[in-house]
Amino acid sequence: MYDKTVRRRRAVLALLVVLSLILLTAYFGEASGGGLHSVQRGFLTVVSPIQNGANKALKPVRDFVGWFGDTLHAKGQRDELRKQVEKLRTEVIANQAEKHSYRELLTLYKLDNQLSVSDYHPVTATVVAKSPNVWYSTVTIDKGESSGVHVNDPVINGEGLVGKVAQAASDGAQVTLITDSSVGVSARIGASNATGIVQPKVGDPNDLLLQYLPANTQANRGEYVVTSGTVSSPDDSLYPPNIPIGQVTSVNEESAYRSVNVHPLADLHNLDVVQVLTAASGTLPANLSRLAVSLPPGQNAGQASGETLASTQSGG
Amino acid sequence: MNASFSSGLLLRIAALAVFAVFFQIGVVSEVPVFGVSADLSPLLVAFVGLLCGSTTGAATGFAVGLLVDLALVQTLGVTSLTLTIVGYWAGRLRELRDPQAALTPLLVGAAAAAGAAVGYSVVQFLLGVDAPVSFELLRQIVLGVVVDTIVALPVYAIVRRCLIGGLPDDPRRRRRRAYTTGGLSPLSRS
Repeated sequence: MYDKTVRRRRAVLALLVVLSLILLTAYFGEASGGGLHSVQRGFLTVVSPIQNGANKALKPVRDFVGWFGDTLHAKGQRDELRKQVEKLRTEVIANQAEKHSYRELLTLYKLDNQLSVSDYHPVTATVVAKSPNVWYSTVTIDKGESSGVHVNDPVINGEGLVGKVAQAASDGAQVTLITDSSVGVSARIGASNATGIVQPKVGDPNDLLLQYLPANTQANRGEYVVTSGTVSSPDDSLYPPNIPIGQVTSVNEESAYRSVNVHPLADLHNLDVVQVLTAASGTLPANLSRLAVSLPPGQNAGQASGETLASTQSGG
Repeated sequence: MNASFSSGLLLRIAALAVFAVFFQIGVVSEVPVFGVSADLSPLLVAFVGLLCGSTTGAATGFAVGLLVDLALVQTLGVTSLTLTIVGYWAGRLRELRDPQAALTPLLVGAAAAAGAAVGYSVVQFLLGVDAPVSFELLRQIVLGVVVDTIVALPVYAIVRRCLIGGLPDDPRRRRRRAYTTGGLSPLSRS
């Protein structure tokens, strides 16, 4: 009897471990359109409304707990923001004049078709689930393909770039955050034209590193890092240019390429509402995204020749 | 274990697991403490193992892991594998040692959280996820274990309260009953 119980117990453990390993191997080995991924998307479709409902029902609990932390930090944040407002007010006045001249020059040289956020159709979505462990920088949102959300669509919030859509179901989607090791964003430091790639800082999943900048790039603490509007690999999303990503915290000079540490502007730990920048087929952003992945890495799709763009549009 | 008892317990565990996973991803993950969020899943699995035994613990670990991986669109099987082992270990602890100290849930919770975090990291490294061992990663794991340890006692109380009606015989009570009725008494052997 004892032997039978022991054998049964060990058999159950072995079966479950083997099942887990089979799942893991099959999932890891298959393409994103494979069977297990489809099951996962199906599950996401089913649970998205439940998650959405639970998220709304439990919001007061979250807000109550969050209130304590917010209160503790409020005073320090207020003082810091006052200083920022003073600094930014001065910069806005200077920028307004420059912006006017810049627009005139763009029109003059026929470069005013550059991609911008206003070319997209933003879909506002609520974050309904978030991974609890340090290994996955992903969140689940309550809008999916039925709202026009597609894989690789850029995701932003009021503070800056958040990430991109990794998987989309009909009524929900998984967003990979910019702190995930699989994401690389082509970016530049606000005032300079030197571009690099923003990736999570090795060993620190909450910080970013702008890498592969030319060695002579000037960077100062506090400068803003924004998207450059280019793609670095065919898997990348074409983020529209000038979306703020983060602020420079320090500069590393130990290698041939310069790299700077960047602190993300978006509070990725407390995401509540985000916007997915969607683009209908045939529109400028959709055509440029398609064009961008066919261009050599680093080339600016937004400044692609008019002929190429025209042929793409007629083809699409 | 008769059939009705077993199905009642399974139903309770299933309801508890589904609620815990949704509560985890909907609320707990959104409330960082010391910069990390508590992870209820290893605690739930370990306490089910501690209260119900190794087989139930392992099965609960597999099911909760699968649910977490499906709901969060993570690599299927990673959480299942880790939590299966956590549930089995906690169940074996009950079957072999039968710990009765008041702080047992605290220690089991800490060990389960640490085991799950380390196991998870090892599997991720084996899968080639690009995140080398670093002080920051270690800090996140340690803080996660600390936060899980803080919430271990209330989680244990809730799990025990939910399962108490369908729990199998407490091994200590069973031994005591056997002893007092003569089954294990030295007097009965002489």
